[in-house]
Amino acid sequence: MNTVFALWKRGLKAFVRNKTGLVFSLIFPFFFVYVFGAIFKNDFIENPIAYMLSGVIITTVFESALNLASSTVDDMVSGFMKEVLVSPAKRVYVALGQLLSAATVSTLQGILILVIGLFIGIKFTDWKTPFLVLVSMIFIGIVFSGVGLFLATKVRNGQTFQIVKTAVTMPLTFLSGAYIPISMLPGTLKFVAYFNPMTYATAFFRMIVLEKTGLPISDLIKEGLVVEINGFAITPFMTFAIILIIGLVFLLLSTISFVKTDFSRLNRSATDANALWG
Amino acid sequence: MNPIIQVKNFTKKYGDFVAVNNISFDVEEGSVFAFLGPNGAGKSTTINTLCTIFEKTSGTLLIDGKDVSRQKGEVRSAIGVVFQDSTLDAKMTIEENLKMHCVFYNIPNREVEERISFVLNLVDLTGERKKMVSALSGGMKRRVEIARGLIHYPKVLFLDEPTTGLDPQTRAHIWEYIMKLQKERNITIFLTTHYMEEAEICNKIAIMDGGEIVAHDTPYALKKKYTKDKAYINTKNEEALELLLSEHHLDYTKKDGYYKVEAEHLDRLLEVLSVHKEHITNIEIKKGTFNDVFLEITGKKIREEA
Repeated sequence: MNTVFALWKRGLKAFVRNKTGLVFSLIFPFFFVYVFGAIFKNDFIENPIAYMLSGVIITTVFESALNLASSTVDDMVSGFMKEVLVSPAKRVYVALGQLLSAATVSTLQGILILVIGLFIGIKFTDWKTPFLVLVSMIFIGIVFSGVGLFLATKVRNGQTFQIVKTAVTMPLTFLSGAYIPISMLPGTLKFVAYFNPMTYATAFFRMIVLEKTGLPISDLIKEGLVVEINGFAITPFMTFAIILIIGLVFLLLSTISFVKTDFSRLNRSATDANALWG
Repeated sequence: MNPIIQVKNFTKKYGDFVAVNNISFDVEEGSVFAFLGPNGAGKSTTINTLCTIFEKTSGTLLIDGKDVSRQKGEVRSAIGVVFQDSTLDAKMTIEENLKMHCVFYNIPNREVEERISFVLNLVDLTGERKKMVSALSGGMKRRVEIARGLIHYPKVLFLDEPTTGLDPQTRAHIWEYIMKLQKERNITIFLTTHYMEEAEICNKIAIMDGGEIVAHDTPYALKKKYTKDKAYINTKNEEALELLLSEHHLDYTKKDGYYKVEAEHLDRLLEVLSVHKEHITNIEIKKGTFNDVFLEITGKKIREEA
């Protein structure tokens, strides 16, 4: 258990120490709020800034959690994972520590934007909402940390990984409804969006932030707060179940894959032992 | 003497390629053991398997009586590993790196402070404790890694080319630490190196080539067996010298005006020559080096020094 805590602390320290990264992680969300909030001022959305902010918050949580992939790949390239490999530390605990630290960091980033958001457009009327928002962020943070860790264990080349990561996360965020409502997407892209886990996370989170959980399903559809596939509405409960299942699957896959991964293999061929020892 | 590392009939194959072919050797507790060999000889595969990173194909590998493939946890607790490439966490301080290591190795909290002071003192880094690893020089990083490899008091310390890429002064220091360790804590040190003069300081040397151990002995015995001392002689009277050498059955080759005589013991040559000093204008004696041993055994030069 000490291993889990130590790695969690390590992740937090790295987050706090990276001041430049922190500033930039705040600049982009508000840039998006400004740009897209101005573009999508339409009649369906009563509070465009709050609508955009909720999308931006969850996108930040998502991207920050997926960043676990990058930091784990960095740990492999820098050799730190090799040190873990030859230590008696249980790999499951290492995986758990990494997941929890990524989930915590992503939640913290989400909270930072949320706090600023409270001054520029988000309003909570129910005392329960902040708790629900927090729990959702942690939940979604853990789910996508699992996805991130899974990706990291499949990486064979640290340099191409960064490009692949951007190529994957960019479309996923843009096709999630966070910036552009799904209903405004053309048919093919809409179809892609239905397979995007982020779509469900966004709809779910937005519904909670905008305090629309009590609304009947027809109103939720109208405001774009639930996903509707060919007239079939995915209820909030089903949305939650979908995220939960995706989360469980990836947490399981990533942990198994992490335990089995040969970290010394990165960027080097497995048959060439000399590459490992020089 | 008690063998701390026991390798018996160890074979490792990658598909059809045999990287290590049925090798056996022991390392005595408290000794400094050097593993030499050209690249691709199989020494890396052997060390990686001993460190529980690779799986063996067949054979038995024991460290402190524990099987490296079946008792991984115990073996990992019993060994310290310093890789050639840094495995430190550059974004953390020296102290944080050491603390993290203590967590991985289940060191009781109350002992952590004392152990950190002890190992940092050992490698002269006490004052650097709060520095970020990214700000350290190559030599300092290597010292931190050695300190870290020792903090859980391993029985065996694996050092993969501990001095490669370091300047001569730092290299000498690193060796000082290694020798101090062996003496004070009776730690067994298993290392690879490309510097022949470093191999000579070790108690035992194993040379690998083509997946097999081609020589395994003390540096002295290897030198005695595989090298000859050489004498280069200059003379005013070539005829007289040639006659003298052949009279005493000493083979010679003539090159650039020098007579080169090779012999296992030059004592006899010197005796002969001292009687006929008047023939000799200059004599230079070269002792056999470990490079010669290596060349003789593997037929290859050790990797060009970086």
